Amino acid sequence: MSDVTINPAPAIAADLGTDTLQEISPRQLAWIRFKRHRLAMVSAGFLIAMYLIATFCEFISPYNTDTRNVKAINAPPMSIHFFDREGTFHLRPFVYGYHMEVNPDTWMREYSENTEEMYPIYFFETGESYEMWSLFKAKTHLFTTREGYIHVFGTDQLGRDMFTRVFYGARISMSIGVVGVMLTLFFGVLIGGIAGYMGGIVDRGVQRIIEVLLSLPTLPFWMALSAALPVEWSSLMVYFGITIILSLFGWPGLARQVRGKFLALREEDFVMAARLLGAGRLRVIFKHMMPSFTSHIITTATLAVPGMILGETALSFLGIGLRPPVVSWGVLMQQAQNYQVIVMTPWLMIPGLFVVLTVIAFNLLGDGLRDAADPYNTGGNRD
Amino acid sequence: MFTDRKHRRGLTAWLVPMLLGVSAVSVAADDAVSSMPDSWFEIPKTASEVGITSFSQSPMLDDAGLPPVNERLPDDPPVIEPLNNIGVFGGRAQITLGDSWQFFNWESALTISADLRNFLPNLAESWEVSPDGRITTIKLRSGLKWSDGHPLTSDDFIFTFNHIWLDTDINPVTSMLVIGGRIEKVDNLTFRYVFENPNPMFENLIAQYGSFMVDPKHFFVKYHPSFADREFVDAKVDEIGVPTWMALLDALRSAIIDEGLDMPTLRSYKIVQRTPTMVRFDRNPYYHKVDPQGQQLPYIDGIDAEDILDNAEVVTAKASTGQLDFAAFTLRTQDIPLLKLGERNGEIKVHIWRRLHSSDVAIQPNYNYADAKYRALLWDVRFRKALSLAINRPEMNEIIYFSRGVPRQVTVHPTSSYFEPHYATAHTEFDPDQARALFAEIGLKDIDGDGLVEYPDGSPLTITLEFLDFETPKGITMELVASYWREVGLDLRLKLVDRALQSARAQAGEMQMTLWHADRVTDILFPLVPDWWAPRSTGWDRGMWNDWARYYQTDGELGENPPEIIRQMQQWTDDMRYETDINKRIAIGKKLLQANADNLWTIGTIGLAPHPVVVSKRLRNVLPKGIWGWDNRWTLAYHPSTWYFDED
Repeated sequence: MSDVTINPAPAIAADLGTDTLQEISPRQLAWIRFKRHRLAMVSAGFLIAMYLIATFCEFISPYNTDTRNVKAINAPPMSIHFFDREGTFHLRPFVYGYHMEVNPDTWMREYSENTEEMYPIYFFETGESYEMWSLFKAKTHLFTTREGYIHVFGTDQLGRDMFTRVFYGARISMSIGVVGVMLTLFFGVLIGGIAGYMGGIVDRGVQRIIEVLLSLPTLPFWMALSAALPVEWSSLMVYFGITIILSLFGWPGLARQVRGKFLALREEDFVMAARLLGAGRLRVIFKHMMPSFTSHIITTATLAVPGMILGETALSFLGIGLRPPVVSWGVLMQQAQNYQVIVMTPWLMIPGLFVVLTVIAFNLLGDGLRDAADPYNTGGNRD
Repeated sequence: MFTDRKHRRGLTAWLVPMLLGVSAVSVAADDAVSSMPDSWFEIPKTASEVGITSFSQSPMLDDAGLPPVNERLPDDPPVIEPLNNIGVFGGRAQITLGDSWQFFNWESALTISADLRNFLPNLAESWEVSPDGRITTIKLRSGLKWSDGHPLTSDDFIFTFNHIWLDTDINPVTSMLVIGGRIEKVDNLTFRYVFENPNPMFENLIAQYGSFMVDPKHFFVKYHPSFADREFVDAKVDEIGVPTWMALLDALRSAIIDEGLDMPTLRSYKIVQRTPTMVRFDRNPYYHKVDPQGQQLPYIDGIDAEDILDNAEVVTAKASTGQLDFAAFTLRTQDIPLLKLGERNGEIKVHIWRRLHSSDVAIQPNYNYADAKYRALLWDVRFRKALSLAINRPEMNEIIYFSRGVPRQVTVHPTSSYFEPHYATAHTEFDPDQARALFAEIGLKDIDGDGLVEYPDGSPLTITLEFLDFETPKGITMELVASYWREVGLDLRLKLVDRALQSARAQAGEMQMTLWHADRVTDILFPLVPDWWAPRSTGWDRGMWNDWARYYQTDGELGENPPEIIRQMQQWTDDMRYETDINKRIAIGKKLLQANADNLWTIGTIGLAPHPVVVSKRLRNVLPKGIWGWDNRWTLAYHPSTWYFDED
C-alpha cells in the first residue's frame, strides 16, 4: 500500500454528487466508507430486520410460545402453497393440514400433507390474544390461518410452533447481547477512563484487577456464577442476572483499550488547552476526549455483541442459564441437544441457524464499522 | 414358608386385561404376552432332581488351571431353564457400565419370582420365617464358592451383618431395615436373623437387597479394623488417600482401587480390569447355576462395559446403531422411534418392556417447608386435588408416551395383592374448571390481573420445583405440568439440579417441591418400605416431610410432631411391618393406600409406561416383554445368566 497512493477525494466527491470537499464531515466520510462494505450493509439490514422482528415478535408470530398443537407433535415444517393439487392457482397462499399416523411398528409419528385440509393464510388476521410488551392486549397477527394451524418451521416435542419460538427466542437472546454490551460499555469506559485519566496508583490498582479478571477461565466462572443464582428468582431476574454475569467479563478488555486511548490523548494539545481553559475533569473526558474514540468503542461494542449472544446460548444450552418457560435460543437449543433431533427432527435445530447467522452478521457489521471508522482507510483493501 | 404357587400366573392375569384396556393402539403392539418358563415361578430344581450327572464348562476355562467343573460347582447346583433355547458358550458382550446391574445381577440368599410377589431360594437351599415373624432362618446350599474358590459359609453373612450393617462407624444411625436385629450361627451353612419385634418381611429385603447382606469375609478381614491390624489399615488408608477405613471399604467394593479387583464375588462375572473408561469382566468360574444340560452358566464369557457416565445421548446413539449388545437403563420412552429406526437395519432388536413405576413422575409437595403460608396451602387437600385435576393426563400420554402409558396416581403395581383400581384413578380426571373452582374456594385469586393466582392476602404465589432429570421422562413431563398448572393460574417454575444437589437439598428439606419416579410399588417392596405414603425416613429421592420422618425415626427427639392423620399413617406402616398374617397385612396396607387416594400426598402423572430394551441381533434368550424397575432388580427374575450369543 505504501507504494500505491490513492487519493480518495474524487471517489468520495462522486459519491456525494458534489465537488466541494469541505462539506464532508468525518461522520459522512465514515458512512460513505461503510456503504462500500457490501457484506456489512447486508449484515446491518439483516440485524435491523431481526431486531424489528424481536421487538414485534408477538405480532409477527402466529401463536404464543406455549400454545400446544396436540395434532402436531414433532411435526416437520409446512410448505406454503399457491397451487392446489388440481394445479389451480390461488392468490392467497395456503398450507395443507398434517395427516398424522403413529406407525404401530416403528412408533414413529408419520406426517404427510393432508390435501383435504386446506388452510388459507390471512394477513393482519385476528388470532390468539397476546400481551404486547406486557402493556396492552392485542389479537392481530401478521399472518395466521382462520381455521387449522400453520407451522412454518414445524413443531417441537410438545407440539409448540417453532416459528413462534424462534422469534420469541430472538427477543431474549438478541436483547441480552445489547443490554450486556451496554453494561460492558458503561463499566469499561467508566473504569478505563478513570484509570487512564488519573493514572498513578488508581491506574495500577485497576490494572491488577483487570489482570485477575482476565486470567479467570470464562466458561467455568460463568457456570459457577449462574449456578449461584437463587432458585426462587423469577425469569426476569434470572435474565438480568445472566446479563450481568456475561458483562462481568466483557468490561476489562474494553477498559484496557479505553485506558490506552486516554493515556495517549491525555498528552494531546487540545486536551491541555481545554484544561487550561478551566474545564472540569468530567467535561474534559466526555466533551473532548470521548468523541475522538467513539468510533473505536462502537466497533468494539459491535464485535462484543455476538460474544454475549453465544454466552447466553452456551449457558442456557448447558441448562444453567435461562430456563423454560423463558424462550431463548439457548433454551431452544438445549431442547434440541439430543441425538434423536439430529436424526428425526432436524428442524428443531433452526434456532442454531439463527444464532450462526446473527453472530456472523454482527462480526461482519463490526468489520465494516471498523473499516469505516478508521481514518487511514482509503476505501481500498486494507492489506 | 415356601413359595405360594397360586400366584404364579399373576403376571399374565393382570397384563392381558390391562393391555386390552389401555387403548386400541397398544393392543396391536402388545398383543402377545411372553410365556416365561414355569420354572421361573417355582423353586429351582437341582441337578440331581433333573437327573444331570455330568457338568460342562466354557472352553475358555479349559486351560485355566482350575479344578474340574464339578468341584467348582456346588454339590447339587440349581438348574435354570433358559427362555427359549439352550445356549452356547462364548463371546464378549459390549455394554455400558450403566447397564451392568441389569446385564448380570447380584446374587442373594433368596431371589424374586417372575410373578413379582413371591420369593425363591437362590444361594439358600431353603429358608423359614418363624410363625411370630421374629426369626428368619436360612440354610445355604452346600459347596457354594466365591469367585476365588473360597467356600461361602454362614460366617460371610454374619460378618456383613455385624461388622458392616451394625458397625457404628460405617452406619452411625442403624438402618431401619435391620434395627433391633441380630444374627446367630446355627452351623457352617445355617444361620438366622433374630429380631426383637416381628419382622416377617425380612425375606423381602433378603430377596431384593440381599446382595448387600453378604461379603467375602476372608477378603474384608484384611481391611476391617475389627479383624486387621489397625496400623496396617491406617497405612493403607493413607496410601490410597481416602479419609477413613470406611471409605477404604467402599473403594474396595467399587473396585476403584487395584486391591478391589481381587475382591471375590458371587456374581456371574468378576472384574478383571478397570480403566477410566472401561471395566472388563470375565466369567466367574465358580458361579453356582447350570442349565438343563449341565452347562455351567453364564453362557457369555466376558463383558466389556464402557463407562460413559450414563450420558443418555451417547447410549442412545450407540444402542440404535448396534454398537451395544444390551442397553436399557439409560434409554427413554421417547427414544423408541429412533431405536425402532435402528431396528430396521437389522442390527438390533427393540423389546418394549413396561416400567413397574406406578407413576413416572411423583410430584412431592414439601409439607415441612420453612414458609408457613406455603406449608398451610399445601396442607389443604383441596389444593392438592386441584393440582391433580389440572393435569391433562390423556394429552400427556399422547404427547410423551404414544398413548401407551396409563394415567395413574402414585399407588401400588397392578400385580400387587394390595392393589385396588380406584387407588390409581383417584382424581386423575382432567377438570381444569374444577381446579380453578377449588383454588377460588381456598381463596387463591388473581388480584393483579396477570392470569396467575396470588395468596389470599395478595402476596405472590410461585412454586419452584427442583428435580433431577434421569431415568424416566421427567423434564418433558414437568414442562407439560407447568403449562397445565399455568392454565389454571398457578405459577410453577422448574429448576434442574444435579445428583449431588438433589440429594443435599432433599435431605435438608429445602425444596418447595421435588419429584422422583414411584417405584417400590410391588409386593416385594411396598409393604417393607412404603415411603411414598408415610413419613418414615428421609432420602435423596424425596423431600415431602422430613421433619415428621425425623420425629418418627428418633421417637420424638428431633423433627416435629406430625398431625394426627400423619401419625396414623406412620402407625399403619408399623402395623403392616410387624403383621405376620398376610391377609391382615394386606388390609392395613389398603388403609394406607386409601388414605393416599383420599389425600394425594404425592401427585402422579402416567405410569406403567413402555420402556425400550435394546438387544443386539446376536443376543438370545432375552425376555421380549418384561417388567422393568428397581423392585425386581430389572432383570433379576428373568435370568440374564442364560443369555447367549448366536453368531450366525
